[in-house]
This record gives sequence, C-alpha cells and structure tokens, in this order.
Amino acid sequence: MAARAMVDWDALAARARVARRTKAVVLYAFLIAVSLPIILPYFWLVTIAFSAKTGVADTAVLWRSMAVVIPAVVAFWLVAALAQSRRQLWIGFAAVAAIAIVAFALLVGPDLHLGNFIFLWEPDFASVVRSRIGEVKGAVQFPNVWHAFGNSILIAGAQTAIVVTVASLAAYYLSRFQFPGRSSMLRSLLVLHAFPVLTLIVPMFLMLYWIGLLDTLSGVIIVLVAFELPFAIFIMKGFFDAVPWDIEMSALTDGASRRQAFVSVVLPQVRNGILAIAVFTFIRGWEEYIFVFTFLIRNSNWTMSLYMYWVRDDVMGVDYGVVSAVGVFYLVPSLILYMAAQRYLMQMSIGGVKG
Amino acid sequence: MAKIEFRNVVKRFGAVEVIPDMNLVIEDGEFVALLGPSGCGKSTSLFMLAGIYLPSGGELLFDGHVVNEVEARDRNVGIVFQSYALYPHMSVRDNILFPLRFKKTPRDEALARVKAAAELVRVAELLDRRPSELSGGQQQRVALARALVKEPKLLLLDEPLSNLDASLRLSMRTEIKSLHAQLGVTTVLVTHDQIEATTMADRIICMRAGQIEQVGTPDDLYLKPSSLFVAGFIGSPPINLIAGEAEGGTVTVNGVRFPVEGASGAVTVGLRPEHLRFGNTGFAGRIAQIEPMGREILYVVETGMGVVRVLEQGSSAGHSTGEEVRIGFQPENSLVFETARQKLIAGAHVQAPI
Repeated sequence: MAARAMVDWDALAARARVARRTKAVVLYAFLIAVSLPIILPYFWLVTIAFSAKTGVADTAVLWRSMAVVIPAVVAFWLVAALAQSRRQLWIGFAAVAAIAIVAFALLVGPDLHLGNFIFLWEPDFASVVRSRIGEVKGAVQFPNVWHAFGNSILIAGAQTAIVVTVASLAAYYLSRFQFPGRSSMLRSLLVLHAFPVLTLIVPMFLMLYWIGLLDTLSGVIIVLVAFELPFAIFIMKGFFDAVPWDIEMSALTDGASRRQAFVSVVLPQVRNGILAIAVFTFIRGWEEYIFVFTFLIRNSNWTMSLYMYWVRDDVMGVDYGVVSAVGVFYLVPSLILYMAAQRYLMQMSIGGVKG
Repeated sequence: MAKIEFRNVVKRFGAVEVIPDMNLVIEDGEFVALLGPSGCGKSTSLFMLAGIYLPSGGELLFDGHVVNEVEARDRNVGIVFQSYALYPHMSVRDNILFPLRFKKTPRDEALARVKAAAELVRVAELLDRRPSELSGGQQQRVALARALVKEPKLLLLDEPLSNLDASLRLSMRTEIKSLHAQLGVTTVLVTHDQIEATTMADRIICMRAGQIEQVGTPDDLYLKPSSLFVAGFIGSPPINLIAGEAEGGTVTVNGVRFPVEGASGAVTVGLRPEHLRFGNTGFAGRIAQIEPMGREILYVVETGMGVVRVLEQGSSAGHSTGEEVRIGFQPENSLVFETARQKLIAGAHVQAPI
C-alpha cells in the first residue's frame, strides 16, 4: 500500500495529456499535408478559369493564390482545434474567412475576369481566341455549348429514368421472389459489373451499327443503361431486403393488391435508395466519355465531355484559361447535384451495402 | 364475424411439411389461442387464415365456404403483427385509413371510422404523429385500430404482446380481452407464452411440430393435460415430471415408492409445484434454494429423484436452505402419464409415500 501511495498521479496525467496533444498535432499536420495535393487541382482549375489570359502562360497568380489558401486551411484547423465553445469556433472561422477573402482580393483579385467564359455566348469562340494571337487558320466548328449541355442532360436524364425504373422493379423481384436460378443470377450481376467496359467497345460498336443506332443519343443511352443496371439492381436489392415482409403482408391483408402494396407501402421505404442510384447514375451519364467518344460522331450529337475534349484539342496551346473555364462549366451541375443529394448518398453506404 | 374451419389442412414449404394434417373448428365470435413453441406451425396456420400462405392441401372454410384460393385482400381479415408492421412513412391517421382506401369508402365516412377506431383503442390524440414517434404500447394500439377499422370477420393477433414491457403487457392483455367482449369478432391469438393464452383465450389450441396436441379451455389444459408435452408447456413454474416404473400397484423411482392406481409399466408422474406440501409424511429431500416470487415462494428441493420444485403461498419463507423436508400431496392432484406414448392415463393417480 505504501508503494502504491508514492505514485504521482498528476505527473502521469500531465504526461498522458502531452502525448495525446502531440499525437493529435502530428496526425492533423499529416492529414493536411496529404490533402493539399488533392485539393489544389480543383482550386487551381477554378483560379485558372477566372484568371488566365489568352496566350499568356503566367503561373505567378497560382502561387499567390496558394499563399492565401494554405495558411487559410491551417488557420481554420487551428481555430477548430483551439476553440473552447461553439461561439468561439464560429467567430474564429469568420475571422479567418474575412482575412482570407481580403488577402485573396488583394493578391489574386486584380487578375480575375470572366473573359474565359466566352464560349457561353460566342459559339465560334475558337476563332476569336485564335485571332487574338494573330492565328486565323480554320478551327474546329464548335456547336453551341448549350446544345452539348442539353445533349448531356438528355443522355444522363434518360439513362437515369430508365435505370431507376428497371432497377427498382428487378431488384424488388430479386429480393422477394424465389425462382430457379435466383442465386446464380445474383452472382452473374456482379460478374457483369466486373467487365472493363472498354473490352466490349468493338462488339458494341458493331451492334449499334447494325441496329442503326450508331451516332444517335438513344444508342448511347441504351449502352449506358445496360452497363449501369447490374450495380443499380444490386444496390436496390439491398434496400428492398431491408424492408420487412410484415409491412407487405399487412398491406395485402388490408386489401391492397400486390402492385398497390409495392407502390404505396414498399417503394416509400426505399426512397433513399432510389435517390442514391438516381444521383449516381445521373453523374455517371454526365461524365460519360468513352462511349460517347466512340459512338457519337456528328458535332450536333456532342455531349459536354466531347465538347470539352475538342476544346482542349483545339485551343489548349493557345488559351488554357478557356479550357479550364469549360471544365468549371462542366463541373458545376454534378457538384450541385452531389451537394443536394449528399444526405442520401451517405445512407447508401450504410443501408445499401449491408443487404 | 365468421366460423372458421380447418379440414385436413396441409402446408408444405418445398419438401418440408410444416403442418401434416390440421383439423379444427373455431366458432363464430370465439377467442382462441394457438399456443406452442416456436416452429410448431402456429404462425403458418395464422398466415393461411390471412391468405398470405396458400394451403398445400385440405380445405379452409369461412362460414362454410372454402376460401383456400381467396386472395388475402378479399378475406376481410384484420391482422396485428408481432412487429406491428405500421407503415413508417404514413401518419397514424393514414395508417388506420389504409385498409379503407381499397374499399372505396366515402372520405367522410372513412375519417369518421378512423376516429371511432382510434377512440376505441385510445389513440385519438396521436392521429397526426408518425409511427416512429410512438411508444411500443401506442404502436400496438394503432396496429389494433388499423386491424379493426375495416370491421373484419376475423381478427388475427400474431404474438401481439411480445415486444411490450411486463406492466404494459398486463394492461394490453386486459384491453384486448375487453375489446373482444365488446366487438364479438372471432379472434385468433398466436403466442408461445402460456400466460397470454390462458389469460385471454376462451379456448387454447396447443400445437407441437405442426400437430394439434390438445384443444380445450385453459382449465382443461392445466388440470387435465392430455400429454407430457402439454403438461410441461403449461404452468409456471413448470410441473415436476418424475419418471419411474409401475408394478404391482407401486411406482418405484430410485427406491422411493408411490402407491398407484390404474397404471402399470413405464410411467411419468406429474406433480404441479403448488400441489406439493411440506409435512411430516411424503418423500424426503433437502431444500437447495429458495426463490421468493412476491406472494409465493418457490423452493428448489433436491430429492433422490432429482430436483423437485415446491410452491408455497405466503410472502415469507417458512423454511430455510439446507433444511431436510418431507413432501406430500393429495392423490387427486397427481397426474400419471404413459412414458412411451407420452399420453395421460385417465383416472390414474399416485399417492405420496408415507
């Protein structure tokens, strides 16, 4: 007992406290260091889109913007680590944000302009951009960017509508009905998804050619639907599996037909799953590049990814500001969609996969 | 209201025969309980009544009409699930309204009936809430209201009380029983809890492995169990079962001799704990443990024939652990079963050894 009483509890506690804090500091420093290379490209894309000028390869503005952003990130972290209350946290964040905005306005502000978004109002922007540096030889004939935008929306939207409808019905059937070959069907669903899509591009091209859907949006939509369906069905099956049988049986005894029970009782339970696959499928269609590049030829069929590709091909050496601006324009819809649907996407990893 | 009849009903799932041959009549307005351990086929029978499972053979009759192939939605059966199965995305009002949606009931009348049903089970003030905002007991009431709002011919209750806490279970028991008395609807309760069955039902159908073991009033099952299974299943604390050999008017178990009437061969003697009394005569034992249960005390007594449980009225123990006792009983309270066939030998009784 005497020996036990000799232990200096305060010293032990102090040592543990120091160790804990050191560990936290090291960990956060490491995380910030590795996250910077991930954040920077996005940040630079936006900075370039709003600052680069035709024919000028000026990188100084990028370094100046970094000089604002990195200290700001570190300051935000320090505020979060040191704030003692929610109020202090918000005041700290506001202060850091204000300083960062002022610094950004002073260091980067003078270079910002909207000129790179010329493609939004000038369909023949390539010639305009080229003429600025005295080059006048024939550029690619670009369609109106809004036309490409519309094509992308059409492909992604139609694909989403079909995938959501078919996947919901198929997944419900797979989840609820016992039929011969059910388990092998489930297994083959996953195998289908394991195929690298590029390997099928030649047969697909031939099929579309023979059906007569080559160089049409509907051809691409059908191909995309076929590739997205297995995964969507699998995710939806997990959601349907989580809906208890009791609810459905209850609806049946309450006088509903099988279809009425599905629509009014089961579907509302898997709403989050439907939203999740809808968002993923839409974004998948929005970013689609390989198939549209292979199966679409006329420039009136261009999607945003093809538009982006040709812009890069045509004016990259002249004006990377325009290329970045197109990139930002291309990025915005999916960013908005992701932010709006974040809540449901988070649930997918919880609700969907466990099933 | 309906009279229900099972005629040679068979139910198979693939190769597994869950119910080999069921024959049962449930009278109009009766409250019966299907009692048995899990997997005995009681829920399967219930789902056949609801129309969710199709019988594989035999006939199921409502009021004398074969309903084997009638769809669940056309049977007008109300069902309360163990999980309550409330529709989580609907308010309580919409939940109770749901069965009326498919009957093309005029809106005003439907709402009035929802209100009446909600008042019947005292959830009228919860109509605008979501099921997730209700306690277990309230969800249970809503499920009852939803089952009753369509004025069903038959009310099915699938383990309705098993998710409630002890005190709530007691009050819901009383409420369900009085609801039945008030509405007179034919009611089938499925439960594995003998107390629920004996307290609520007029008649109990005790099932085991898909077969009906015994049908009778709670008293019948308790006092005259037809088999060892029923005797062991009904009663808490459970009946003491002592296996021995009857020969020449005596059952001998490990040297203890019980005079017996009307039985011979291998028999099992059944003695309910509350029928056993400590006294100067009877078989000997030593009290190993005392379990006070409020107004009764359960003694666990070690005897030459194994552990015997004795239940004594009163709230304070008159005996102490380690005490040597002798245990006696009235012969008419004893039950004698044929060990091989597990059946009660009617009229056979044993006496306590002197």
